[in-house]
Amino acid sequence: MKCVIERNGVKVFGKAVHALARIGDELWLDPMMKGLAMRSVNSAHSAYACFLFSPLFFQHYSPDTGPAQDCGTVKCKLVMKSVLPLFRCLATIERNVDSCQISINLPDNRVIFQFHCRHGITKTHNLGFQESEALQAVFPSHLCPNVLKAQPRLLGDMVMHFPVSQEEITLSMSPLRVNLKSYYEDESDQMKAMHTEMSLDPSEFDYFQVGVDSDITFCLKELRGLLSFAESHGLPVSAHFGAAGKPVAFSVDDMVLEASVVLATLVNPESRTPSQATEAQAPAALR
Amino acid sequence: MPLSTQSQTGGDNYVLVASLDNVRNLSNILKAITFKDHAIFNATPNGLKVTVEDSKCLQANAFIQAEIFQEFTIREDSVGFQVNLTVLLDCLTIFGGSTVPGVATALRMCYNGYGYPLTLFLEEGGVVTVCKINTQEPEEPIDFEFCSTNVTNKVILQSESLKEAFSELDMTSEVLQITMSPSQPYFRLSTFGNSGNAHYDYPKDSDMMELFQCTKTQTNRYKMSLLKPSTKALALSCKVSVRTDCRGFLSLQYLVRNDDGQICFVEYYCCPDEEVEED
Repeated sequence: MKCVIERNGVKVFGKAVHALARIGDELWLDPMMKGLAMRSVNSAHSAYACFLFSPLFFQHYSPDTGPAQDCGTVKCKLVMKSVLPLFRCLATIERNVDSCQISINLPDNRVIFQFHCRHGITKTHNLGFQESEALQAVFPSHLCPNVLKAQPRLLGDMVMHFPVSQEEITLSMSPLRVNLKSYYEDESDQMKAMHTEMSLDPSEFDYFQVGVDSDITFCLKELRGLLSFAESHGLPVSAHFGAAGKPVAFSVDDMVLEASVVLATLVNPESRTPSQATEAQAPAALR
Repeated sequence: MPLSTQSQTGGDNYVLVASLDNVRNLSNILKAITFKDHAIFNATPNGLKVTVEDSKCLQANAFIQAEIFQEFTIREDSVGFQVNLTVLLDCLTIFGGSTVPGVATALRMCYNGYGYPLTLFLEEGGVVTVCKINTQEPEEPIDFEFCSTNVTNKVILQSESLKEAFSELDMTSEVLQITMSPSQPYFRLSTFGNSGNAHYDYPKDSDMMELFQCTKTQTNRYKMSLLKPSTKALALSCKVSVRTDCRGFLSLQYLVRNDDGQICFVEYYCCPDEEVEED
């Protein structure tokens, strides 16, 4: 696989890495004909994220590793801690980087990130990877009874009221209102902490479809990365969900990329075992 | 504001007196070489040289010329002593490190010779602090025998371009490898860390490259732990010269402008970590 991202795209790509870093410790790179997918999952398998960059996002994109490679494309699993530092300071990237080339060197098991910077400086990072099965969650969002779509600014403003340390929140939807409130598992936590609750009118949303009244509790921390990405990109965010216990999918898309975060929700607020985010995957999704 | 000579120091018995209207012109540059507690001071009529060494493999020198000081009087050809640099810096910055426009801390540094403490008078806004720091017998600084005639490769870079590279260096790498060559990649910094290796390439025609004189391809490795302190000097500097000699010894020379725009120098010498096959 070889692809080249020009200047502005590098910052977007970096933001995607930041968002994925919020989810898990490993990053899956999956070059496909339809684009380059970057995925991550948390250790409990209760959060999954995928960013798919279409070939149009790149200045140049070729998914095949070369004629010698008989099984087409290779899937790489990288350590997030190795990739994130490359994109750590987005402001510096915006200022200095002219383009970024990503290629996979199969014989050496290396993914090569090469940054062409101002003043003729070139930075090359050769990262070791593990070949891996594809990581993919299949979530039939079109089957979800409840759909919300909002401008990123609205969601940003909403979550801003919750402290950064807030782990989980509950989203309640009825035909009349959408409620967001902080959730605490422990009785003792409930007594000590500050509770936040807010309520929105359906008219605040770009799209509002309520099939079934539901209260879903999910991890806010893992969602923040996508919300931050959406805000910086000005993309509206869609949420697809159903009854408590079924996963919720948040997604954004534009002409050259689509991103989604699928989170498990608590089966019922008293339960301590969240459902699996990848519960719904069909066997065919794994290769 | 001049500080009057106090009789408690023995008045006219000093061998060295140095005064600064702004102590930061000394303290800032000393911060760039503070990676060990002890420093060797050597004063000559030309000015002050402060040396810090680490494990016989690394040496850092800061040069503050006599012209930088408002007063620099020396009664011998060479005056040397050793002090605890951390303590000295704590004293120099005793009024706090922050800069308020128009307010500067003045310094008068006096030394009466062998056996006497180093006496510092610091004044800010009418408040005077007197510090006496014990001195020790100065050790002889290592002579790395690095001379210009043995230099095989030399480049001068604008610090701005290196600052970013040094701040991003993979610290899980035990060594920093420097390749200098008359052909590609010209000037390359490499690290070999847990996640993989990284290379920073500076072409000879980059507008950050002020001087490029490489005669033969050389690749040398230096312990990262030894070179990491040089990042402080790099942060203060506007230009840096990188030279290697035929033995692979590294000389880094930093041009530092102080608060008043005057030039001072900091240099680092480092031994190579191991022999690397030359291409």
